[in-house]
Amino acid sequence: MSRTPWLLARRHVVTHWIRTGLTLGSMAVSLFVDLPRDCQAKVAGVDEVAQVCKFQWFGGYYQDRSNFFGQFGVDPELFFEMYAKDLKIVEGPADRAPDETVHQASVRAMLADRRSTVVGSRLAKDFGWKVGDTVQIIPTIFQKVDGSAWDFLVVGIYEPLRSNVDDRTMWLRYDYLQEGLDAGTVTGPRGVGTFSVNLKPGADAAAAIDAIFENGPQRPRTTTEAAFQAAFVSMMGNVPLFVATIGGAVVFAVFFSVINTMLMAGRQRVHEVGILKALGFANSVIGRLMLGEAVVLGLVGGGLGILLAIGTESGMRAMLGTFLPNYAVQPFTLVWAAGLALLVGLVSGIAPALTLVRLRPTEAMRAEA
Amino acid sequence: MFLYEDGRVRKVAAAGLVGGEQVVLDPPADLSIGDGEFVAMMGPSGSGKTTILNIAGGLDEPDSGRVEVAGTELTRLHGPALSAWRARHVGFVFQAFNLVPVLTAFENVMLPLLLTPLGKAERRKQAEFALDIVGLTDRMKHRPSQLSGGQEQRVAIARAIASDPDLILADEPTGDLDRSSADSVLELLGRLNKELGKTIMMVTHDAVAAERAGRVLHLDKGLLVEDARVAS
Repeated sequence: MSRTPWLLARRHVVTHWIRTGLTLGSMAVSLFVDLPRDCQAKVAGVDEVAQVCKFQWFGGYYQDRSNFFGQFGVDPELFFEMYAKDLKIVEGPADRAPDETVHQASVRAMLADRRSTVVGSRLAKDFGWKVGDTVQIIPTIFQKVDGSAWDFLVVGIYEPLRSNVDDRTMWLRYDYLQEGLDAGTVTGPRGVGTFSVNLKPGADAAAAIDAIFENGPQRPRTTTEAAFQAAFVSMMGNVPLFVATIGGAVVFAVFFSVINTMLMAGRQRVHEVGILKALGFANSVIGRLMLGEAVVLGLVGGGLGILLAIGTESGMRAMLGTFLPNYAVQPFTLVWAAGLALLVGLVSGIAPALTLVRLRPTEAMRAEA
Repeated sequence: MFLYEDGRVRKVAAAGLVGGEQVVLDPPADLSIGDGEFVAMMGPSGSGKTTILNIAGGLDEPDSGRVEVAGTELTRLHGPALSAWRARHVGFVFQAFNLVPVLTAFENVMLPLLLTPLGKAERRKQAEFALDIVGLTDRMKHRPSQLSGGQEQRVAIARAIASDPDLILADEPTGDLDRSSADSVLELLGRLNKELGKTIMMVTHDAVAAERAGRVLHLDKGLLVEDARVAS
């Protein structure tokens, strides 16, 4: 009869603190695809296509580089028509006509002035922007020859209606950029990064659109909007790989940290193990105790990490905004994390367990308590 | 009895000790300790007292010779079998108490009972009984750091007797205690011997402590130099 005194492992787990730290890296991102503007007409000519809108990544920042958010040059009339079910302008210009909705008034205002922009509600809240404000965006791609910032006039604030649109994006007029490029006052890509296409009901035009570019200098790929968002993230410096690499490095560091902790714990337990052996506890029990403690530590750490990931999911999604628009903690990830935590715990307990098992009782009891 | 070689305790050429009816030592000397005896072992440091105690308790194995305790030839037991034998037959009391600091007095006493076939309720009852014998039922929930040295040693004695072993091996049980606490511990060991019939082997440097025993063995440089009965 040989029960394992798990109470001991439990007491050790709660009476000894383990500190772990995580370091986050910073990221550098670049994106450039440059399709000729006249592609828009060619794509619009495909039978299955209903509407085509330019999407040009502006890549600027507000006041400080840390104020990163998405800015896209679009064809405003087309854009707001195509995305009428995805976002709604909730604050617009004061000169709204009696028969106009806020949305209509903002679109009208946007068409009236090339400097106009409609911004997400979170963006407006974060930076204190209001309708009527002129905001300066410092360019990183579309540099002005005179080195000045771009002025944009806020004519509307929108709320997303669907998850494919976030609340931290700035929609600009593409022709504002085009005007500067054509006049030579602005440098930057003269084409368009992306075209957003609305298809006729039931149509699948990907192959037909790709065929337009078959013999061209660039071979763009036509995908669904969801796939584009994922690919967009991937293009932006292959973020998933980057995050996985950082994650792997952190796991590697944590692994050695846990091993070190368990080796220390093993050394601290030598005297205690001598007592247990003297009392008649078999080596198998001693080994189980050490491994059990290591596994509990691993699982508690992993569990805390999982809770943290779940608890911060919505906050992270809001914070990352367009940068990682599809950020989500998948159930598979949680299972994988729990399995990894278990493995780290188990492996880290092996060395100290073996050391303790090999000790003779009298030798162990001579160790300092 | 030869315990030394090249100035170090390396070899017990013969040590047969303790327990039931007799202890058998191979030549050059035999040492027998009868069932229910209270034996004190004295001698200068390094004379081999603790080595004999450890061998008798199955904590150390002699390099040669034969050790038989209560009909079991210990020198034939190894690993888990020796651990199981120890759990069943021996209770240890150490100079430094050797209680597990993260456990309460009650939990420390419960430890050896985990190695018995008793159920949880019986184990609790047995641990409470052992603590009652040493007079510490009111300190059950205290951790070792919250107890005096004398109380710690009494908890250690409760742990040693909790699983009702035949033999109690005490290695300088009063070495770290003041006179009053030492007397209390010695009185307790005497009661365990007289009232519960436990066989006790006690290593001590203290002549007063040795007087509590019924027999005193004197060792020097690994040799048994005197085997004296104490008049009660």
